[in-house]
Amino acid sequence: MKKILLGICLLFGISLTAQNTHSVRGTVKDFKNGETLLGATVFLKGTSIGTITNAYGFYSLSAKPGAYTLVVSYMGYKETSKKIVLDKDQVLDFEIEELTEQLEEVVVIAEESERVSIKSPETGVSKLNAGTIKQMPAVLGEVDVIKSIQLLPGVTNNGEGTGGFNVRGGAVDQNLVLLDEAIIYNTSHFFGFFSVFNTDAIKNIKLYKGDIPAKFGGRVSSVLDVHQKDGNSKHFAATGGIGTITSRLALEAPLFNEKGSFLVAGRTSYAHLFMKGIDDFKDDKISFYDLNLKTNYRFNKNNRLFLSGYFGRDAFNLSKIVKNNYGNASANLRWNHVFNDKLFSNLSLIYSKYDYQVILDFAELDWIADIKNYNVKYDFGYYLNDRIRIDFGVSGILYGLNPGEVKPTSETSPINYLKLEQKRAFESGLYVSAEHQLTNKLTVQYGLRYSMFNRLGGQYITQYVNNQPVVYNSKLDIYEDGEVLGQTYYKKNQSIATFNNLEPRFGLSYQLNPVSSVKASFNRAAQYMHLLSNTSAVTPLDVWTPSGTYIKPQLSNQYALGYYRNFKNNMFSVEFETYYKTIENRIDYLDGSSLIGNNTIETEILNGESRAYGAEVLLKKNKGSFTGWFAYTLSKSEQKTLGGTAGGPGINGGKWYNTPYDRTHDFSVTGTYKLNDKWRFSSNLVYQTGRPITYPVGQYQYEDLSIASYADRNESRLPAYHRLDVSAILSPGNKNNKRWKGEWVFGIYNVYNRKNAASISFSQNQDTGNNEATRIAIFGIIPSVTYNFKF
Amino acid sequence: MKRYIKLFLAILIVSSSSCEDVIEVTVPSAESRLVIEASLDWQKGTDGNNQLISLSTSTPYFDTNKLVPVTGASVKVTNNNNGTEYVFTDQKNGNYIISNFEPVINNTYTLEVIYNNETYTATETLHGVSPIKAVEQTLEGGFYDDVLDVYIFWDDPADEKNFYFIKFIEEGDLFPNLEDFPDEFVNGNQLDTFFEKERDDNDPEAEFNPGDEVEIALYGISESYFNYVRLLIEQYYSAGDPFSAIPAKLKGNCVNVDNPDNYAHGYFRLTEFDKVNYTFE
Repeated sequence: MKKILLGICLLFGISLTAQNTHSVRGTVKDFKNGETLLGATVFLKGTSIGTITNAYGFYSLSAKPGAYTLVVSYMGYKETSKKIVLDKDQVLDFEIEELTEQLEEVVVIAEESERVSIKSPETGVSKLNAGTIKQMPAVLGEVDVIKSIQLLPGVTNNGEGTGGFNVRGGAVDQNLVLLDEAIIYNTSHFFGFFSVFNTDAIKNIKLYKGDIPAKFGGRVSSVLDVHQKDGNSKHFAATGGIGTITSRLALEAPLFNEKGSFLVAGRTSYAHLFMKGIDDFKDDKISFYDLNLKTNYRFNKNNRLFLSGYFGRDAFNLSKIVKNNYGNASANLRWNHVFNDKLFSNLSLIYSKYDYQVILDFAELDWIADIKNYNVKYDFGYYLNDRIRIDFGVSGILYGLNPGEVKPTSETSPINYLKLEQKRAFESGLYVSAEHQLTNKLTVQYGLRYSMFNRLGGQYITQYVNNQPVVYNSKLDIYEDGEVLGQTYYKKNQSIATFNNLEPRFGLSYQLNPVSSVKASFNRAAQYMHLLSNTSAVTPLDVWTPSGTYIKPQLSNQYALGYYRNFKNNMFSVEFETYYKTIENRIDYLDGSSLIGNNTIETEILNGESRAYGAEVLLKKNKGSFTGWFAYTLSKSEQKTLGGTAGGPGINGGKWYNTPYDRTHDFSVTGTYKLNDKWRFSSNLVYQTGRPITYPVGQYQYEDLSIASYADRNESRLPAYHRLDVSAILSPGNKNNKRWKGEWVFGIYNVYNRKNAASISFSQNQDTGNNEATRIAIFGIIPSVTYNFKF
Repeated sequence: MKRYIKLFLAILIVSSSSCEDVIEVTVPSAESRLVIEASLDWQKGTDGNNQLISLSTSTPYFDTNKLVPVTGASVKVTNNNNGTEYVFTDQKNGNYIISNFEPVINNTYTLEVIYNNETYTATETLHGVSPIKAVEQTLEGGFYDDVLDVYIFWDDPADEKNFYFIKFIEEGDLFPNLEDFPDEFVNGNQLDTFFEKERDDNDPEAEFNPGDEVEIALYGISESYFNYVRLLIEQYYSAGDPFSAIPAKLKGNCVNVDNPDNYAHGYFRLTEFDKVNYTFE
């Protein structure tokens, strides 16, 4: 570890000397609303010296003394330049103007940051701005971050009405989802019909599918980095929408003489208001709401403070039977500090929590569970010279988990009070990475993350005979709980188990010519937190568990290779990538495992491994009245779970079997056509191989019932999934001098009313006694109308 | 507790799924296996001498001819505590019966079935059960407040782990309703469970009405049978819905000693049970 760090330092050391340069730095913002712009290009005209603004709009450049023209360019904005004389280090902020005076949704060119960046050594990275997402056809009248990324190659989900998403054959819990740096544990409202991200409050998103930068850690498949808007620092603005299912409103305004600003955004469903009026549903309620908050204050050129928060809640009440509510909450206090012309820093204090509650009246019980964490991060960006930028930092996360607590809700309830073992853990990370332009054609990115995980005491751990929580019963050919030897109590200051891992991250890009390049990357990542779910869809009631005595951290290695090319003056771009990924210590669940209310999860699982590989093509049209993309992925995702210490063959006889998120073919087309200033049309077409499923292979009579006998796990497949969505957007009379701007969005989801099977269940008809297969299709054709406004 | 959470998820999927239909699906077909339904159940207050074991073979999943009886097998149960052998007589219709079986609580028994020159064996212990101490009819209990339901009550012994299997059937029903019930979250308490049918506006007979007769039986079962029947029940009622566990192979305790891969479906269970018949008022 020390040697490698030393090596990196030495490497930089060479270039640290022998430089006689001056630097220019500053922030790039939008002229109209003062939002900082991420990914804008800043360069010195006529030289190869240039950079891209970071997540806070910050840039820093250095060059030999002399007179230059500094140019700021960002697609969709006017190119802005300024003559400078570089005779000393200096600060230069830019405010650049948008090209059109329309609603931001009307920007029909993909922005700079979304175009293929030929030079950057990043592979498997997708960026989308809120503006692009808002152009896509909406489901239930609202555009959605999670649904939009599923149109990208390598991203799928487990069917309609299920939460989360899967990246390159990875599981839902292998995605690190960050909202302004806070970990979001459940990304969905309404069991996956909506995502928790209100697009009115979102500035942009970045999805890392493979080449995860060293500054991120803790998940092995992907990072979805979502940034909230800072709030308009120029004038008061309101954005909103009134739709058939949900309505939203976002307010932004400057604070303290434009030194600060704020954003407050709210969104709610209101179907439950109508339900009250209908006799059959008057006691039922299905609803959600969320609130986004962000405010910032700029003390001076070198110091800026941000406070952001999110609170979301779903409620689901079914008359007197069940009440359920769940949601995420997060808060983040950040301090941007510029130490000097070359060193940028950000310190974050972050809290996030996910919890749920289920009240079952008829059973007289109340069940709650939660996961929360406190996170401190300190990140630095060092702009060493015109060829090297170094990022480094530290992070510490303290987790507290309550996997379940049951309370009786009445005097007569037969339920005993029960609180499962409370779990605690501390995860820390240390990283350094550099983007290094070795020659004009070759850029490399190398980084190293050192992660440590400490499962903390404050709970009992069960010991088993022969250290086997699961034992193979060779006579009956089944897995059974191990024999309990006893329990050990670990005090709060004691450590139950510790792990540490070195995670190298490496990428390179070689520019073949001005419009094309090849890239390669290698990535190793460790994951210490696991979502327990033995169902085919992730549910809001699944609980997280930390690594410890019996569950080891997941470790992934991913290799990726890509070819990138821009055509016709950036009108078109194509990206071709292949990847191979292996994951060690991927747990799978024993046949008939029972995870709810279980203190000893180790008796329900076996340790296995998984692997995924595939090829992805993304063809984009970036400019013109028609824009959009075509994405295709050919892939395989499998896992293998041997008996290990438990003995026996393991799951499915120890052979490789499909993961539930294996999709051979995944194809999507999305496009937007701008007819004129009033009308725009957009459409999605999606096709996917059906999800792996376990089918029955026979039946027999037992207790007068017809019992199904099943084949090996995930051996069969659901029918293929496909659908077409269209939408039309009308912007009537948006005159430049009018402040109020409105638009109507008419959408149809699943135009040809395809009954896509979310699942097929097998059961005996209670009237005829014959077996039958029942398909559940969640969404048929769904029309929607939404009115969006802005003033 | 767990069953309630599962039930909740089941309700969820039913209420959130706008569209359910029966479709044609081609499923793979495995070779047929022997099915041993050896349920030696001893009703409280009887001598338990008359017992029945059924043998059949499995059939392709969508076959409407479900029951293929097995005849010509030899079926024997041995009490391991005292060595007494009980030989069952082939009725030539898949049923094998005996009239002098002697059930003893906490005794262990071994089943031996010889069929097609292969021997299947299983071992199980007979578990006792607490009596049903009350039966009550309510309106406000159960899931729905406006339909009749019936509760049974019994006491769970505090000093041991207990597992229950409950069978409800209304007179005239084709199929029983099965329930598994561990004392995991309710150890040592007075326990209850209920039987209720949903209202159907088109069929006034769907829900319970005064005069309807139901039979409710409460069985004391072993932990290993509980593990088996819990999965059987879960898969029977909800296999394949996205919020239920991925369906799995269900393996009972009948082992083929000559050819282990050719294991039998079904289970050799021994239970004590209490039964009540109730007529709604």
